[in-house]
Amino acid sequence: MSQGPPASIEAVRGAGLSKGYGEGDRRVQVLAGLDISVQLGEMLAVVGPSGVGKSTLLHLLGLLDRPDAGTLELFGTDVGSLSAAGRARWRNRRTGFVFQFHALLPEFTLEENVAMPMLIGGSPMREALAAARELLGAVGLEPRRDHFPDQLSGGEQQRGAVARALVAGPELLLADEPTGNLDAANAESVFEVLRRLHVSRGLTSVIVTHNEALAGRCDRILRLVGAASGDACSRT
Amino acid sequence: MGRPSVTVLRLLVGRYLLGLRRRTHVAAVSAVSFTAMALGAAALVVTLALLAGFQSTIRQQLAVSGVHAVLRAKVGSTLPPGDWLERLRERHGELHVRSIASGAVWCVSEGGAVPAVLAVVDTLSGVEVNRVLAARLGAGVGAEVTLATPRATLTPLGPMPLRRRVAVDRVAEARPGEDRAEVRVPLALGAALLGGAAVETVELRASDPSRAFSVASDVQTELPDGVEVISFRELNRPLLAALALERVMIGFGVALVMAVAALNLLCNLALLAAEKRADVALLGALGLEPHSVRRLFLILGIGVGALGGVIGTVIGGLTAVVLDVTRALPLPRGVFVVSHVPFRVTAGAIAVVLGVSLGAALLASLAPARAAARRDVLQGLRYE
Repeated sequence: MSQGPPASIEAVRGAGLSKGYGEGDRRVQVLAGLDISVQLGEMLAVVGPSGVGKSTLLHLLGLLDRPDAGTLELFGTDVGSLSAAGRARWRNRRTGFVFQFHALLPEFTLEENVAMPMLIGGSPMREALAAARELLGAVGLEPRRDHFPDQLSGGEQQRGAVARALVAGPELLLADEPTGNLDAANAESVFEVLRRLHVSRGLTSVIVTHNEALAGRCDRILRLVGAASGDACSRT
Repeated sequence: MGRPSVTVLRLLVGRYLLGLRRRTHVAAVSAVSFTAMALGAAALVVTLALLAGFQSTIRQQLAVSGVHAVLRAKVGSTLPPGDWLERLRERHGELHVRSIASGAVWCVSEGGAVPAVLAVVDTLSGVEVNRVLAARLGAGVGAEVTLATPRATLTPLGPMPLRRRVAVDRVAEARPGEDRAEVRVPLALGAALLGGAAVETVELRASDPSRAFSVASDVQTELPDGVEVISFRELNRPLLAALALERVMIGFGVALVMAVAALNLLCNLALLAAEKRADVALLGALGLEPHSVRRLFLILGIGVGALGGVIGTVIGGLTAVVLDVTRALPLPRGVFVVSHVPFRVTAGAIAVVLGVSLGAALLASLAPARAAARRDVLQGLRYE
């Protein structure tokens, strides 16, 4: 187990987080008693071999899944007791997601895709689209706002996904291998956008990646080595 | 912030239903469900209109050509004496009142001998046979017919049936459902054949056929003790009941088309939910609550079903009206009482079809909507 560096304000605080899948002999323990702390405004990279539990950790932090054991506090709130609807509202208002796949919904324009979290939150269409346009400008895609996903390159789609993750003004950004499907140039472009918006919007970010070079540009690296070795982590 | 998810649900439903600009596969699936519901609704409307048309025509024919009420003795076979019948005639000038006595008779002509009911009608001046008897005898207007009653008269050859040779003055149209051979004769001839005919029944018929159902209640309070009135509905109960049953059963049978359309809708919604599993999971990750996912698929299903039902109802209704007005489906005269296939669109039928469409769509949408709402977001995100 390892802890993040001591800091005055914790955005994420997980203690003894455990998660496994399957039953009986087939049960696979992915996380076993992991402690994690992410400071407010910190950009944390989570690295480690496949199957070690990086995405599982991200899903727990994003309230997409519940831990089998352990407690999780986000911005001082114990989120373990939230209902399904409460967790959905939390995700909508306080968390931004960037996934490796499922970047954008195919039936909607880039602008509509980016506006989607605000629309889900109940914002009026006009307000949501205005915010989407602003974010698209920030990621350099304003001219492409009326395009559909299949008319965009992989890098553009992922930058659009970054814009969508941030449109509702979340405090926590979670990215699951956001550059995993991209070539080096596009990966650099997407990471640069992430880094810039992280700073300009005062976000707390957790980025799962296999890309050691990009991880090295984050504030800190959390290196998972697996439940078998006690979720041993190291920090940089 | 507005009402949670209303705008996004409207956007999702619109895009999935109409398939605007992109992803026409989803729209094609919606179109198939929509078409099935519309066809089912149209078929149901046309069928109900056809049944209503035929039944309305039959009722009308029944009212035009039939008796609207019958007075008869509560006990025994003859009505009580007195001037009550005359008073009834005076008070209800709008009613045709016919006193009738009846008995059995053999009708003999060149075409053979046919047993028939002999009806003595006080308002008749000549001999009238109904079309059933005319057909069996092969006799028309002007034909000579011998009427023989069981009442015997003594002759040099011994007792012989009482006989009268008469000419047919009129062939009366058969009433719907009438299959009894009947000959109607004036009072004097009837009294001779039956030996002093006492009035057994009185037939009442309103000048306005639309009053057929109310004649019995109109005269009910003016009848003496010992006389009962049989209403138009009671007189024709078997036929009216058969018509009602026919309407229900055929309507139910055609409503199965709606059931098939609803099953099609269910399958297509399930297909849509499976195809959109990853997208719905992504929406869930972005904060769309499970109940909103359920609403999304309910709105999709009910939207397709209700829209299909409404459009189908309009198409079916218009088709029925056009077929009726243009008399597009003629019927051979002499075989049917109407010259063309009649259609009658009623508000009740429209309400039934719309209700069935909406109900079927709701039932078909429940299971896919529930399944989609309960699906785990993470499983959906892992789904490729």
